[in-house]
Amino acid sequence: MTSEEWEDFGESELSLLETLDHVLSLGLVVAGEITISVANIELIFVGLNLLVGSTETVYQVLGKRARGLDPGETSPDISSD
Amino acid sequence: MNVYAYCLSQEADWSALEAVTGLAGERPFVLSYGEIVAVVSKPPDSPIAVTRENVLAHERVISHVFAQTTPLPFRFGGLLRSGELDRYVEANRDSLLGLLARVRGAVEMSVKIIHEHGSEEEDDAVGRTEPAEPEKVLGQGAMFLAAKQRESAESKLFEERAREIANWLKEQLAGIVKDSFLRLTPTRGMAVKAAYLVERPRLEEYRDRLKFVREQRPELLFLTSGPWPPYSFCDLIT
Repeated sequence: MTSEEWEDFGESELSLLETLDHVLSLGLVVAGEITISVANIELIFVGLNLLVGSTETVYQVLGKRARGLDPGETSPDISSD
Repeated sequence: MNVYAYCLSQEADWSALEAVTGLAGERPFVLSYGEIVAVVSKPPDSPIAVTRENVLAHERVISHVFAQTTPLPFRFGGLLRSGELDRYVEANRDSLLGLLARVRGAVEMSVKIIHEHGSEEEDDAVGRTEPAEPEKVLGQGAMFLAAKQRESAESKLFEERAREIANWLKEQLAGIVKDSFLRLTPTRGMAVKAAYLVERPRLEEYRDRLKFVREQRPELLFLTSGPWPPYSFCDLIT
């Protein structure tokens, strides 16, 4: 994404959520070849309502998990409004 | 050879791919299928985890191609076994060329519209407000049925509202967008999710029009983003 207009929300948070929305739920698929691993984490953010409903889950999955933080810690990069 | 797939395209300066890294730090490269080329990389040794790093690596490679041309992006997680991509392209060559022609020179612009439900008028419509004088105390069964009735009325109201917003938006942007993909999301929060295919030279016109459109409905919250590769316009029917 090269430019965007975000109003009333944190830009970095929505930018990430928009990226997830596109990359995880849209695009070409070769049947049966999506081989992602989500361990014990529910992939509920692949729904289209993630902008209003699943911020916390995305935060947990893509924020803390990627950095190996404890669930109780907070991430400096993504914050919920 | 197993590969991880990013996108399909036709024309681009592939030498530019040397400047970008894909999943697991692998360099992307192209596989040629005549008029169609696939941008791929060596797959990771372990299963592809849904991490911020991996998702952004996927998007980064596609964005790199997208800066030069309009590709058909693969969804995240496309790990293909040896020969799988060859068979896929060969089996769908005409459809893929059709899709590439459809998106050529265009970008996807995303619009999500949130409508704040819960006005007094809507509360009345779905029976959420308390009657001035309760007629009688309801039993558990009656309360359950009343709740289901309210839920159904609420659902209907959200759907009607979403449909009205979708139709209005479609009218407002007609003539400017090349193609559109609208999805009603009649929930308490979001009402409409739309993706528009806009020709690159008309982007400013689209933005100006959308700015005007937003001003017409101050009660709606618009979340707009783009330009994106045409993720919503890869509806290949196999």
